[in-house]
Amino acid sequence: MNERQSRVDWLLLLGLFGLMVVGVLFIYSATLAHETTSIPWHRERWFMQIVWYAAGTTTAAALCLVDYHTLARWALVAYWGMVTALLCVLIPGVGVMRFGARRWFDLGFFQMQPSEFAKLAFILALANFLSRPPDELRIPANFFKALGLIALPFLLIMKEPDLGSALVFLPVGLVMMYAAGVPARFLRRLLALVGMLVALFLVDVLFAPPNWQIKLEDYQRRRLLVYFGRDYAAGKTGEAEQLKARVQQRNDSYNVEQALISVGSGGLTGKGWRQGTQNALGFLPRAVAHNDFIFSVIAEEKGFMGSVLVIALYSVVLFTGIRIAGQTRDRLGKLMAVGVVTLIFSHVFINIGMNIRMMPVTGVPLPLLSYGGSSVLGSMIAAGILQNVYLHRRSY
Amino acid sequence: MLVFDQLKKNDPPMRVIAWVAAAGLFVLLAGLWYVQVVSSHRYVENLKNQSFRTVRLPALRGKILDRRGAELAENVPSYNISLYLEDPALRAQFQKQFQAAKGGRKLPRAQSSELARATRYQVVSNAVQQLGRVLQQPVTLDAARFQTHYQQSLALPLPVVTGLNQLQIARFQESSSNPPGLELEVQPLRVYPRRTSAAHVLGHLKRNEDSVGDEDAFYNYRLPDFTGVAGIEAMFDENLRGRAGAKSVLVNNLGYRQSETTWTPVEAGQNVFLTLDLAVQQAADRALAEARTRHPQTRGAAVVLDVRNGDVLALASSPAYDPNLFIGGISHAEWAVLSDPELHPMLNRAVYGGFPPGSIFKMVVALAALESGWNPTNVFRSTGHAMVGNRHIADTAPAGDYDFRRAFKLSSNAYFIECGLAAGVDKILAVGQRLHLGERTGLTLRPDSPALLPTREWQHENKPAWRDGDTANLCIGQGEVTVTPLQVAVMTAAVANGGKVLWPRLVEKVRAQELVGTPAVRAASPARVRDELPVSARTLEIVREAMLADVEDADGTGRHATVPGWRVCGKTGTAQLMKGRTVVDHVTWFTSFAPYEQPRYAVVVMVEGGSSGGGTCAPAARKIYEALQKMEKADAPKAATLAGTN
Repeated sequence: MNERQSRVDWLLLLGLFGLMVVGVLFIYSATLAHETTSIPWHRERWFMQIVWYAAGTTTAAALCLVDYHTLARWALVAYWGMVTALLCVLIPGVGVMRFGARRWFDLGFFQMQPSEFAKLAFILALANFLSRPPDELRIPANFFKALGLIALPFLLIMKEPDLGSALVFLPVGLVMMYAAGVPARFLRRLLALVGMLVALFLVDVLFAPPNWQIKLEDYQRRRLLVYFGRDYAAGKTGEAEQLKARVQQRNDSYNVEQALISVGSGGLTGKGWRQGTQNALGFLPRAVAHNDFIFSVIAEEKGFMGSVLVIALYSVVLFTGIRIAGQTRDRLGKLMAVGVVTLIFSHVFINIGMNIRMMPVTGVPLPLLSYGGSSVLGSMIAAGILQNVYLHRRSY
Repeated sequence: MLVFDQLKKNDPPMRVIAWVAAAGLFVLLAGLWYVQVVSSHRYVENLKNQSFRTVRLPALRGKILDRRGAELAENVPSYNISLYLEDPALRAQFQKQFQAAKGGRKLPRAQSSELARATRYQVVSNAVQQLGRVLQQPVTLDAARFQTHYQQSLALPLPVVTGLNQLQIARFQESSSNPPGLELEVQPLRVYPRRTSAAHVLGHLKRNEDSVGDEDAFYNYRLPDFTGVAGIEAMFDENLRGRAGAKSVLVNNLGYRQSETTWTPVEAGQNVFLTLDLAVQQAADRALAEARTRHPQTRGAAVVLDVRNGDVLALASSPAYDPNLFIGGISHAEWAVLSDPELHPMLNRAVYGGFPPGSIFKMVVALAALESGWNPTNVFRSTGHAMVGNRHIADTAPAGDYDFRRAFKLSSNAYFIECGLAAGVDKILAVGQRLHLGERTGLTLRPDSPALLPTREWQHENKPAWRDGDTANLCIGQGEVTVTPLQVAVMTAAVANGGKVLWPRLVEKVRAQELVGTPAVRAASPARVRDELPVSARTLEIVREAMLADVEDADGTGRHATVPGWRVCGKTGTAQLMKGRTVVDHVTWFTSFAPYEQPRYAVVVMVEGGSSGGGTCAPAARKIYEALQKMEKADAPKAATLAGTN
């Protein structure tokens, strides 16, 4: 190994730092108009986010001290630990109920969302499992074991319920298996199966008579209806029923519509930092403006230029990640990097897609930009893994 | 690409992953481009629709003033107290009460919104009651009115009390315990300070907030505005109303006002100066009102014209109405009075309708006969009635010998039928046409009517068999001839000023509101001459002398119009309205001008239901002349100083 070779991927750090700056600026802007009586500056959201960035950076740095090969040995421990945590969060009294879902541990100073960390533990475990010699991956039993690794957290998170977070497991798992060299025929069958299941599921939700439908949380079903532009009132009889359905529909599609108005009215150059009206006037609900819908605040205030900047920052992170994956000389490092890249990409795609109605509304945060301790910590740990793989790559 | 170069050639899955990631990001960028650039205008439009409310702001209406700048129609400030519902203190109070009412329970949505509704009204109602204590008068807020306002015009303040008096304003401004969200506001209110005076000239307004001209057609809200529906208010509406402005109110997601910006400032309307003289106008109004106190069923009109230039100094119609009634919304009882089928108080009798002229038409006959060679000194023996064909026409003048002067002042029907028939109907109609009887006077008041002169064309269409009897009737102003008081004034002015038939003028000038103030003595406006009478100066002098005799001679029918200091020339008339063979009503007239030596004013008084021209109208004319004398006396010193400086 060339001693002069850079040991830290500065480009990756630059991308991450850029995202943090954007995050703080726009969380500040998004929470500016909140009506709550004056809270001390160190309790403001933008400052809390800085604290989380610091905590995340520290965690990531600490993570880099240990070679990822050593980390991988603990992968299964982490995985089963997370499965336990996901089980615990479902127990009433241990997990906290918010917005009709049981996704959080209340740790007093912060509400931890174990699914954010489960994603990382899952990446470690799956990378560890798939890093065996390619020949072994041709054995169907191993393929099914890998599927099992994906299915367990997926189902547990579905149970919370948190459809968005659960669905992220599918692309991450698939891409990691693909990169590991799992035979294409397995993957094709898997894809076909998943596709069929999804299609059946959607047809069932959207078209089947009520008593034939899969039991789904009411809000989930409605989000899907909104996404597919279905008329709530269809099939309802009686004027009062129809009216009620329409009011419901307006309420449900409200967030998406307001996000679209925010993004669209930003135009090419935007209205300027802190000048966005959608958030200030409360059209974009204040409960989501600084987390799930932070992108629409950025897009409104900085326009298409701002959107391009955000995408550019993410592409720096993603493509340095892909480069790191390509530069590794062992399968474990490569799979870990691929897993992290896919995870970040899925979040970015789903979240931004949701702001412009390309994706249904799910509670998937935008890495580093959305406000939230679990999400920031998770994202920073993911970045730490990338950096770790880069630092400890084996050169021949 | 940097990334792809470094990927090992033998690792196709990594290349695929890189390409898929690039494609995914590109898809996002394309989607964002579509939303933010291609269809941005649509979302900007949506944003405006949901966060802006446009409000039409009416402009301050121009004043209507008399020739001296006295206000006939003006705007006075009306003080209102309005409640701004978006006030943070009010909303905090609402939150407190609402949470207390809920008591930590979780209510179903319908129940919760019902509770919020009730609480909201309670909070506002408390504030209003508190205001009542400050003003020391009970103030109430109707629940239904509040809810309607809340649902439909939340972006606007809610008027709570209107028309505060000085004491209440002081109490409100000095109180330290004013409830939150209340503001004192000033609103212009149209007022006609002279009430019924010149009401028919001024006209009145009605509520109307429609966009006019090139104004924006769409507004979320329109503040109260008015348009003129009659008189000068209607004819000069375009000048008076100014240009409405627009403001936009930024609202939040709940519809509460956040801030506002004026997009188009209002442009105040222009002032309209009339040729009327308020004092003369009021004298005319009083004179007509007096006739009504004696006989409540009389209706009438009076016109004062400057014979030199056609300026209308007074234009009165009776019974009059108070245009102020239309501002606050007219009650049923008031409307019933105004639409009385007999009295028609809204009708401007000075310019609208046609009234039989009776004997005053003898002026036309006299001009025609004298011009066609009738000798005014010839003596004609009257039998006290006239027979034309087999038609018997009564005469109020006694039997006896008449020359022109005596016939004129006693208004002998027999004499004028004789000379009228001698001149021929065509001569009479020719003079009438040059006087433009039967045509609109061109005054800027609507509705006006041309009345009727039975020209040959009219006869051809309506009465092909025109007989001498009809001519005889015409000679005494009965039958197929009607006039308006204003036409009579123009006719009299022509006799007085040496044969110039003028266009009467009512509007002096239109000025922007800032330029108030007008010189007390104006340079006389040039007359607009419509026609010259084809009558010799001698003929006019004969008629003028006869008119003088009618007033000055002891036996003249117009003797009650005598005014000390001026020699008044006049002619009385009493037309009979027949139904079959019975007389149902009288239209009495007195038309005149003065002074004889240098005629300056023509005064016409017409009273329907009066007893006679000399008895009812001449005294009314006298009162108007007295007012004109007073006006001249008041102007004289100023005129003298003005002359002195020249």
